[in-house]
Amino acid sequence: MAGEKTIVADVDRSFYDFRYEEKDAFRVAEGLTPAIVEQISREKNDPDWMRAFRLRSLEIYNRSVMPDWGPSIEGLDMENIVTYVRPNTRMSAAWEDVPEDIKSTFERLGIPQAERESLAGVGAQYDSELVYHNVREEVAAQGVVYTDLESALRGPYADVIRERFMKLVPPTDHKFAALHGAVWSGGSFVYVPPGVEVEIPLQSYFRLNAPGAGQFEHTLIIVDEGARLHFIEGCSAPKYNVANLHAGCVELYVGKNALLRYSTIENWSKNMYNLNTKRAKVEAGGKVEWVSGSFGSHVSYLYPMSVLAGRGARAEFTGVTFAGAGQNLDTGCKIVHNAPDTSSYVNTRSISKSGGVSTFRSAVVVTERAENSKSAVSCQSLMIDSDSRSDTIPAMDIRTDKADVGHEAKIGRISGDAVFYLMSRGISEEEARALIVSGFAENVSKELPLEYAVEMNNLIRIEMKGAIG
Amino acid sequence: MITVNKPLANTFGWLHGNGTQIEAPASTEEITLTAAAGEERIVALPDSPSARITVSVAENAVLRLIQVRRGGDGGVCDIHVDCAENAHFEWYRVVLGGAASYDNCSVTLRGDGSSFLTELGFRLGGDERYDVNCEAIHLGKKTRSDIHAAGVLRDRAFKILRGTIDLRRGCAGSVGSEMEDVLLMDETVRNQSIPVILCGEEDVEGNHGATIGRLDEELVYYLASRGVSREQVYEIMAQAKLNAVISRIPDEETRLLLTENGAEGETI
Repeated sequence: MAGEKTIVADVDRSFYDFRYEEKDAFRVAEGLTPAIVEQISREKNDPDWMRAFRLRSLEIYNRSVMPDWGPSIEGLDMENIVTYVRPNTRMSAAWEDVPEDIKSTFERLGIPQAERESLAGVGAQYDSELVYHNVREEVAAQGVVYTDLESALRGPYADVIRERFMKLVPPTDHKFAALHGAVWSGGSFVYVPPGVEVEIPLQSYFRLNAPGAGQFEHTLIIVDEGARLHFIEGCSAPKYNVANLHAGCVELYVGKNALLRYSTIENWSKNMYNLNTKRAKVEAGGKVEWVSGSFGSHVSYLYPMSVLAGRGARAEFTGVTFAGAGQNLDTGCKIVHNAPDTSSYVNTRSISKSGGVSTFRSAVVVTERAENSKSAVSCQSLMIDSDSRSDTIPAMDIRTDKADVGHEAKIGRISGDAVFYLMSRGISEEEARALIVSGFAENVSKELPLEYAVEMNNLIRIEMKGAIG
Repeated sequence: MITVNKPLANTFGWLHGNGTQIEAPASTEEITLTAAAGEERIVALPDSPSARITVSVAENAVLRLIQVRRGGDGGVCDIHVDCAENAHFEWYRVVLGGAASYDNCSVTLRGDGSSFLTELGFRLGGDERYDVNCEAIHLGKKTRSDIHAAGVLRDRAFKILRGTIDLRRGCAGSVGSEMEDVLLMDETVRNQSIPVILCGEEDVEGNHGATIGRLDEELVYYLASRGVSREQVYEIMAQAKLNAVISRIPDEETRLLLTENGAEGETI
């Protein structure tokens, strides 16, 4: 058996690769200038404070520096990126009112079907704007607000949003947070009132259809005291031979004793620069659970951060990253323990093949205030071939003696013993290897609702059939 | 075109991994150590404020380097090691304080079957600082690296351990392993650890484990039930961590010196 290898193919993204002719109603010019930012602001009918916020963010963007520590983003030229593309429709709450080509896009992605079967509400964004937003009546009757952020900015929650918009991720955080602040468009606002448990998930799906465009949606979720929510986001795009950019922002406010699970299946096309920022603040007794599957993009920088701000707050991060040919995916997480009795658990897997590069990068910070806090980090990487790379860069910064911090990391290949064992049970070598790779990512798939776990497994497994040679 | 510029401001440069560089003083002592083919050497170097040590270990040779820092102002020690086929290098480093100490030990496992072992022990208190970078670069096939670090921080002491296992393409059959165990004794200490594994080869294993913090409560409870106070338990365990490193030093004289001069048995 020595020297034999299973060829594990790239994740098959052809399923997501269909595209429709662009019929956008409006798009700004390429590049980034104050005039373009003002134009976006006018188009979106921003309140005055938001217009000023955008221009201030642009100033910060212009004086911020590019990151020099991760994958190269030299192929991304902001002069060629269109930051705002409005599709030829207005947002609708009725599926039949959505234009045919856009409707067909989301139907092929299975969104309406998922809405009928397993979701409490759906938001669908096409390029820069939400085209469909709906929430089940019984969920709305509980007082749950699930709407597009622009509507919320002018509604009864306007002050709440102003108070919290880009407060967890300020534009000064990094260059692409500043870019987001300047040109953000679309995304969702969710408010779950105290004590309300949303039993089935809400989902937002982001589709970028226009070549050379950027998507900058903003997701703001507030789960009030004692409430519970599972929010799912999915994203995809057809592949073009020009660079596309995703610089979204997610801000999660988890109240006292509240629970928020935030699941992402990211499957951007391989011309995408995914420079996304996600952050959660968790109050006393609350818990945030991140479930993250990173399969797409040419380059990713993605490190969801949890700030444990109240006594007994908890964070869990479960992630899988699959880097195939032409991909450099730099993913991980950051957790800041800033209150007593807080705890965190990080469990990640990464798979590299066909020259793909995956990097796990994490930081656990336990401050002086975080007495009796606990953190455990476990990351495992699987190298399918020697053309690929897999790096693990975890960091720990502990500033109190009353903490327990554990970390373990492993990098290796598919175990010959495990393959041999499965073969002795009558499973072919090809199937055995495929089974092991698939099982390797089980930490994430078991955390997702069944329909999404199936989708994720399909992403990994469909193409794992391969010749041995 | 976007130009790559300066790094992002961040909590403690965690995004940069182990990229930090420290400049050695001009008065640096240059030391060259070699082990000829088949030779087995133990070298115990006296402490030096600033030293650059170049080590070459030939085929089938073994070189064991022992260094103890006893406090004072600290200093800079920069070690570069090259291991030929089946060569073996060991670095025993005990740091018993020092206002500001910087160590770098970079070992290139060039030859097939070569190996590297580090046993690092530290005991820091007051306002002492210790910054150590330990790197194993696996180039040859079936190479092995083991980085073991254990120590105790007290008062306002600061320590950062940057450990890198770099498994380069072509080092098939290699194994890299890093373990760290740090006991924190006061609420004002600060410990940073960045254990990096870089992997460009499929047929390898890289492992890392770290335990940082206080003692296991069950252990404390058990010993307390036997009449040992909480403070005494911590003292015993702190000493045990350092003793474990000292007991592995392959030079009796150094071991005795450390024992007699207070590395063992002394309240820290």
